[in-house]
Order: sequence, then structure tokens, then C-alpha cells
Amino acid sequence: MAKMAMVIDRQKCVGCGACGIACKTENNTQGRKDGQSFNWADFMLKTEGKFPSVKFTALPVLCNHCSNAACVDACPVTPKAMFKTKDGITMHNDERCIGCRSCQEACPYSVWDLREEGEYSVISFNSDDEETHPAYRDKTELIAGCTSSGAEIAAKTGSLPPMATAYKHPEYDSVRRKGIVEKCILCSHRLANGENAYCADSCPSGARIVGDINDPNSKVSILLKTYDYEVLKPEAGTKPNVYYIRNYSIK
Amino acid sequence: MKLRRRDFLKATAAVSAVAMVGCGAPKNNALAPMDPKKAIGEDPGKWISTTCQGCTTWDPIQVFVQDGRAVKVRGNPNSKGNMGTCCPRAHMGLQQLYDPDRVKVPMKRTNPKKGRGIDPKFVPISWDEALNIIADKMMELRNNGEAHKYMLNRGRYTYMRDMIYDAMTKIYGSPNNISHSSICAEAEKSGAFYTHGYWDYRDYDLTRTKYLLIWGLDPLVSNRQVPFVIKTFGDVLDKATVTVVDPKLNASAAKAHNWLPLLPGTDGALAVAIAHVLLTEDLWYKPFVGDFKDSVNHFKAGVTLDESSFEEKYTNGIIKWWNLELKDKTPEWAEKECGISAEVIYKTAREMSVAAPSVCVWMGPGAAMHVRGTYSAMAVEALCGLLGNLDNIGGTMMKGKTLAAKMPKLDDYKDKIAKIKHKYKIDQRGYLEFPALNKGKSGGGVVTNNLADGMLQKDPMEIKMGIGYMNNFAFSGTGAQRWEKAMSELEFYVHITTNASEMTQFADIVLPATIATFEKWGYLKSKANLHSQVSLLQPVVEPIWDVRTDETEIPFLIAEKLAERGFDNLLRYYKEQIKDPETGKGASNAREFAEISVKYYTAPAWDGSGKIGDKINGWEEYKAVGVWNDDRYGYKKSWGKFKTETKKFEFYSETLKKALGKHAKKHNVDVDKVLEVCNYEARGEKAFVPHYEAPFRYGSFEEYPLTFIDHKSRLNKEGRSANTPWYQEFKKVDLGDESWDDVLKINPDDAAKYGIKNGDMVRITSTNGSFTIKAKLWEGLRPGTITKCYGQGHWAYGRVAALDYKNAEPRGFNNNELMPCDYDRLSGSTARNGGFCGVKIEKV
Repeated sequence: MAKMAMVIDRQKCVGCGACGIACKTENNTQGRKDGQSFNWADFMLKTEGKFPSVKFTALPVLCNHCSNAACVDACPVTPKAMFKTKDGITMHNDERCIGCRSCQEACPYSVWDLREEGEYSVISFNSDDEETHPAYRDKTELIAGCTSSGAEIAAKTGSLPPMATAYKHPEYDSVRRKGIVEKCILCSHRLANGENAYCADSCPSGARIVGDINDPNSKVSILLKTYDYEVLKPEAGTKPNVYYIRNYSIK
Repeated sequence: MKLRRRDFLKATAAVSAVAMVGCGAPKNNALAPMDPKKAIGEDPGKWISTTCQGCTTWDPIQVFVQDGRAVKVRGNPNSKGNMGTCCPRAHMGLQQLYDPDRVKVPMKRTNPKKGRGIDPKFVPISWDEALNIIADKMMELRNNGEAHKYMLNRGRYTYMRDMIYDAMTKIYGSPNNISHSSICAEAEKSGAFYTHGYWDYRDYDLTRTKYLLIWGLDPLVSNRQVPFVIKTFGDVLDKATVTVVDPKLNASAAKAHNWLPLLPGTDGALAVAIAHVLLTEDLWYKPFVGDFKDSVNHFKAGVTLDESSFEEKYTNGIIKWWNLELKDKTPEWAEKECGISAEVIYKTAREMSVAAPSVCVWMGPGAAMHVRGTYSAMAVEALCGLLGNLDNIGGTMMKGKTLAAKMPKLDDYKDKIAKIKHKYKIDQRGYLEFPALNKGKSGGGVVTNNLADGMLQKDPMEIKMGIGYMNNFAFSGTGAQRWEKAMSELEFYVHITTNASEMTQFADIVLPATIATFEKWGYLKSKANLHSQVSLLQPVVEPIWDVRTDETEIPFLIAEKLAERGFDNLLRYYKEQIKDPETGKGASNAREFAEISVKYYTAPAWDGSGKIGDKINGWEEYKAVGVWNDDRYGYKKSWGKFKTETKKFEFYSETLKKALGKHAKKHNVDVDKVLEVCNYEARGEKAFVPHYEAPFRYGSFEEYPLTFIDHKSRLNKEGRSANTPWYQEFKKVDLGDESWDDVLKINPDDAAKYGIKNGDMVRITSTNGSFTIKAKLWEGLRPGTITKCYGQGHWAYGRVAALDYKNAEPRGFNNNELMPCDYDRLSGSTARNGGFCGVKIEKV
């Protein structure tokens, strides 16, 4: 059975932000609000040390598609809305999700409310107070009669958000509804058709490699054999499948 | 409340599950299979080639279009310059295209009073009405003998600029076509031109280099080939030594082997000391420079040498340079000037010499955009001469060819008014104090930032009307307050823009423009990876608003209106001279003109006439592939044929000597007088060699103890991305920055001195302005310096960029209001680096 994983080559990664933004274009996630980032791909950024011996590192983060996923354990519905697919993706079913946020609470890489600068959360919650993508539902204009409005652009393009990438997947909608959680599904709709995850395709440095670690000849397996690797919060016991190789700085 | 709801849901989950079981078969929770009957995958769409104009990389990209909507972006796989990559900027374009704050119709100002915070009271008008008003005003000036009081301002452009910037202004009859070029670049071109006769940005053989010296820029962040550098950098780190010279930690320095955080503005000192070591330790590249006739190294600190003792190969004036500048410039001397230890200077020079000639010396604006920056740029670029790396394997490269047509001659369409010769333009280029020696020609370059002062002084003429496109000088020029004053006093301004930017606030008529990349016809020339490129911009989607292309459609529409008023020269030029290369026909309307003019210009790249580079069969194929690539640039072909006065690499610049001499003669003064007026330190022969000049600083160290450093963002798109939520959300990827904010980065030691804690609000004051801003304690810069990223501080543009658009309240502040206006006058460049801005801070 396949086990999909991502290897991130930190020497190649330059922390540019392309994966984070490209993910938003592919997966049509809404903008930050109410302590939720909706950044399925995000970054941990750190400056350490003292001038001139100062070290900056950028660490791209995303759902770890854990083998022992706490979010799946925590999901209270039956069948589970958060579940593992046969190829190891931690999948989320939009229809079954009841928006209880237990997964968000259980996931060691997620928080309920982003407060501190630089915090990130793998799982975000689409508030049930408001429809998603409110910026493109807003009818107000900056200069009356002269500039557009979000709602007008959505109406003219027939899409909300207007730049939504339209795709289909049995488990999740390309634009999620309010009142449910959402997170990275490793572009399952792309992998299913032999395409790469869009963040990996969009990484200009080629730092993100997606593949099957149960296949010894896959690029991810070879990289993990070649280099030492780290995972985030191994002590949480979730057995994450996003692996970091090499160092951000050559020093 | 949310907690209560969650607990409620958890408690009732079992009930829900029961209900769900009733709806369908229960599945294995841990391994639920996907429903095989449901479709999976992307809806149909098409990748269409175009070009990102988010920075001056001008990256060939492709846009995925579904059902007439642009939905995602990737690098153009046909580009040999980017190898199919794009940086974060390209993706952000989608939020620019579908920006709720876009201007969707022409607007007319109804409040005659102009100024920041004064509502222009714009009302929507038709294109016809807007164009009639513009044409009436243009004709009024012409009929009054005041055509020269019209100006055209160019901002972000494509090479279709010829139609609006040159043809329209010149046939109409004004000398005042003013570009944006010297606001953020140009000074570095002085470095390359006065040493090796090349007035352009360089290319870099990154895939073969053994030593990458990054000096005064962060190529992973900005400059001219960001995607290619990101693509290759990880491998370069394995194969080469990477050293970054920058006063603050930048993204490249964070990954590099070495970071040399020199004191701002002392680049010249470090460069001449490295040169001193290369010579005294017998480390220069002899196949390029040559050697002493007796093959014994006579370069000894402090010793003056006889010029005849050395036999040069491809260089000119090594001994003169040594005698005039280098002989005393020891690393021990430099250490005191630039703050880099002598030991590190020796090590750097020695390591580079081992890698020579496969060394990339990559000099950027931080080393050049200084008051006196021409000389520091020359000092850094001169290292290419000593190391023999110019156009050599793994080295700093010049560029190959691009296939494109030239602008048809204007002469036959110029009437008596258009033929009047005006000695000077409104930016005062060529004045004694503004040599702006583009390619050595006095007044050949633009002094963009002085346009505001020219307008305010009405010198050399009054300006009564202007048209500006995709420019935002009131935000992008240092001493930005001058621009607000000049624009408030201007009688009539037309702004062609996508958003109600700062400049727009002063406009009388606003014309909504297409968004480059997604809606516009144009083409660009660029280079990376030793390939020159001709890259197409084409409309990938039909605009949802009645917007027009700035450089072609709008001037054509204006030409039609001028013709209606009896002046048809411009319209005839557009129709008669710009012909579709396939049908031989001219345009019959503006929309046709937009495409035909691009076909006309790019034809040599796809009509089969070109003998070099990619073979592209026709216009349809060119539109599909989107980019023409030149063959890989050849090594050493320029050696012995540099476009300098001596055809050699000039350590003693006969080229600069001639240029300065001509400018001095024009004003009946000597060269020393030019240097004095232009605030350079050199006098006599020293003016003709690369040398160190002490940084010029506004504000004494006593009163303004900290030195401000302006730096670039990886997400700025020529000042046009701040209104996108993705820009704000990912602002944190700029080192030390915070999302949705603008922070002043302070070394913790300095912060402690002033009792400032992380997140405190502080007041920062320069000789030019005073602002309140959030403090961010950050170790990425040396005590005594303070830095903020350029890009935030919009008080207009839109509801995301500005904190409060209605009340003109900025998000943070604009660095250009803090930094005073001054220049590297030899190039006309705006100073924005080099430690010229002293500041003081206090906790508020």
C-alpha cells in the first residue's frame, strides 16, 4: 500500500513564500479572519543568535499527513469526517464534518485561535457565522460608481472567489462551505490524476518533493536514505510524513 | 461562545453519526475509500503564455484559464531564462486582476482643491467624455504655443512604451517625456559602463560559478532574475562559495557561507581594499590583466610605480589606478572605514582569486544607489577586471541579442511645433548639477525624482498638463512630500492606472488601465541563465471592465480625438507606420492597434527572418510559446572589444574622463567644478579611477545617531501588490517583518539604550520627516543601524493597502517620506542606499 509523504529540502528552500500563495490559488482558501489563517501551506520563520552571529531560518509547514493522526482519532462522527486514505493522505470529508473543531484541538500542529505573530495552524475553521470569502461578497465600493466591489467581480466572473481553480473531488469541494474545518489534502485531486501537489509544482527552488515512501525507488525514499531528516514534534507520537532534509544555511 | 458550541456538537456527534449511518453504508473509519463514481480532478482549462511584470525580472509565465477566468499561474516552461519557474509575485497577480478596488470606468475630479486627504470627489464619466476633455486641453496648449508645457510620465512599462512615451510626446511637440528609470536603478550601470563600456544590467553564469559574491542586493528577493536564482541557489551553495556584502542580514546572506555586514555606504572602501590584496599578493588574473614586464610583483603598499613597468592585456590603466587609489588602501585602513575586519578582507580576496576567473561579482543597488554612488559602483565592478571573470566561464556576463523591430522614424510626422528644439527637459537633466551621463552623454539619462522640483521651480519651463501611466511618483520617489506639493499645484493631470493610487489623488481625469500580465498586449526583453529573451504579454482573459491598454490603445484613442480637432499627424503615424507584418494593414481602431503594434515589434522573433535563437514559425506559434530565447551567450567574445574609449577594461576610465570633460565644457567649467557642484570628493585625476568616497549623510551623528537602511521586499510588485490580501498575509517572509503590518527593525542593543521593547510604538525622525511606527527588535542588523522594508505606508491605492483610504491614513509609513531627496548626480539616480539618511528614535 502506498504511503504518500513530502520531503522538503531546506538547502533548496529560500523561504520565498511561493508555495504558500500558490496553495491559496489552487485550493481557493479564504483570507485570514477570526484567528484562522486558512493557509494550508505556511511558514515558521525564526531569527536566532546575536549580531553578527545571527541565523535566520524559514521552515515551510503544512499538514503532516501523520501515520498516527491525532485529528483522525479526535473526529467524533461516524464514519469519520477526518480519515486516512489508503495511500496515507489525511483526508477530510466536507459533508460529514460537523465543525466541532475537535481535530483542530487534537492536532499538535494546529491551534484554535492564532494570536501570536508567527503562529501557524494546519487546520482552519470556516466560521459558521459568515459565508466563506466575505471579501467577494462585500458590495461596498471604494469610490462610488467608479471602482468595483468584491460582490460585483464575483457576479461578473460567475465565481466565488473569482480566481477559484475549479476541480472535483469525492470528499471535498474546491471551495468549502461555512461551518466546517479545512486543511491540506495533499492536492489529492491532482495526485489522483498523476499530477504533483501544486505547492511542489510551484516551488521555484524544487525543494518540495511528494512521493510514496513505501516505494523504495521513489525520489522521496531515495532522499530519505541519502540524508538525515527531521520531522516536526516527533514527541507528539503522531508519526508525521513531512520530512525535512539538509539545513537552511550552508554555514 | 464558540467553546460552548463545540462542546454541544461533540456531545451530539453520536446522534449525527446515527443519522448519517441511516443515509449510507458505514465505512472503515481509518481507511475510508473514495467514492469511485465521483469525478476527480481539475475542470478543463488552458495554460496561456504571458509575462509577469511584478519586478524587473519580467519573468515569462503562463496563466491557467478556466471558463474565461484566470485561476492560477506558473513559470513558462519554454523560457530558458527561468527554467519554468516563477516567484511568489506572479501568483499574487490574480488578486491584482480581481481586486475589488480596481478603477472600472474613467473618472473625473469634481473637487478642484488638491492635496493629501482632500477627497477628489471623483465621478464616473464615459471614455468619450474623458478623451474629449484630454484632447481639448492638449489642443489648447498647442494652439497657445505651449505644447512644451505638456509632459508624459512613464511608470512600469513594456517595450510598447515607444507608442505613448516617444511617438505621442514627440509628434505632439513636447520635450517632456519623463520615465521612472532612475528612481530605483541606473547608478550600477555607471559601474559597468565606465569600466567596461556596458550600460546595462549584467547576467551571471550561476550554474558554473565557483564563487558568488553578492554585493548590495538580495537576488533571492529582488533584482532582475529572481526565479532563476531561487531555482539554482541550493546547488550554487554546494558547488561554490557564496559571500554576501550587505549591511543587514538578507535572505541570501541567511543561506550563504559568508556575510559581510559592512557599514552603510562604505562599499567602495571594501572593494578597493580587496583590489589592494589581489595586487599586493600577486593574485590578479594575468591572462586578462597582464603582468609586470619583469614578471616580478612590484605592488607594495604605499609604493608608487612606473606605468611603463607593466604590460597590460585587456585592461587599461592598472598602474594609474594603483598610484591614484589602491596603493594606500590596505585592509587595515579599510577595516576602520567599513567595519569589516582586515582578516576577513584578506580571506575574501584570497578565496576569490582561487576561484577566478569563475567568479560572479554581482553588484546591486545597495552598492550603487548612493550619493557619490557612481564611484562605489565602479570600485566593485572593477574587481571583474582584476579577476578576469567578465564574460568568462562561471563569471559576470554581459548580454546576447534580442530580436525585435525598431520604432519607425517620427520625422515625417513632426510639424513646426514638434520640430522646435528645447535645450532642457523639465527634470533638468544635463544642468551643471545634473550631469545624468547615460552612456556618457550629458543629460542622456533621466533624473526622475527631480521632476517634482523642476515643476515647482517652473524651470526650465512651466508644466500645465501631464499624462502619467502606471507611475506613482508621489509614493515611489524619496522626499515624497515634494511630489505631493508639485502635483497639488499642477493645473491638469491625467492618470492612467488600475487603482486609485497616491498619484491618482492629484488627477483631474483618471483612465482605467488593463492589468499587465493578464489583460494587456506588450512585449519585454529580459535575460537570465545566459539567454536573452523576447517575452510576450497578451490578454489571457477578457477584461470584465471597460479598461484600455495604456501604451497603445489609449494613445491611439487620444490620436483619434486630436485628429478630430484638426491635428492628425499622430493618428497618421500610428496607422501608416505600424503595419501588421502578416497582412500589411494598419490598425483601423484602438483595439486592433494594441495587437498589431506588438506583432510589428516582435515579428523578427517569429517571422523566420532571424538567424539566431529559437526558431518560431509565425505569430500563432509565438503566442502559444510566449517567449523567444537567444542562443546561450558565448564566453570571452567581448574581450578586446569592450565599448570603452580604449576598447579595454578601464581601471583608468578614459570613458568617464571624456564624458565628464564634455559635460564640463558644455557649462564652461572644469571637471573639478562639476565634481564639486555634484557633491563628489574626488578632484583631478582621481575622478577617472574607481575609488572610495566617504558616505554623504543627512543629519549629524550627534543629532541623528542611527543610520537608516531601506530594503526591498520579496512581495513588492513595483509598488502594486500592497492592496492584495496575500501580500499582507505573507509579509512575514521578508526577514524580520510581520504580516499585516509595517515594522521598524531595531537591534536589541540599540533598543535597550532607548528603553524600547518589542512591539512598542516609536517615533523615528530624519531631516525629512517624522513618523510613529511599531518597533521590532531584530538581530539581523548591526547596532547603530535601523531598517524598514519598503512597500507599506500607502495612504491611498485601496482598502487593503491603506489603513483607512477615506481618511488617507497609511498602514505604517512610506520610507520615501523619511528619506530625503538626493542623487548620485553622475547617473541621475535617486539615492536610497549608502547610509545617507541619519535618524533618531524615541519611545512614544
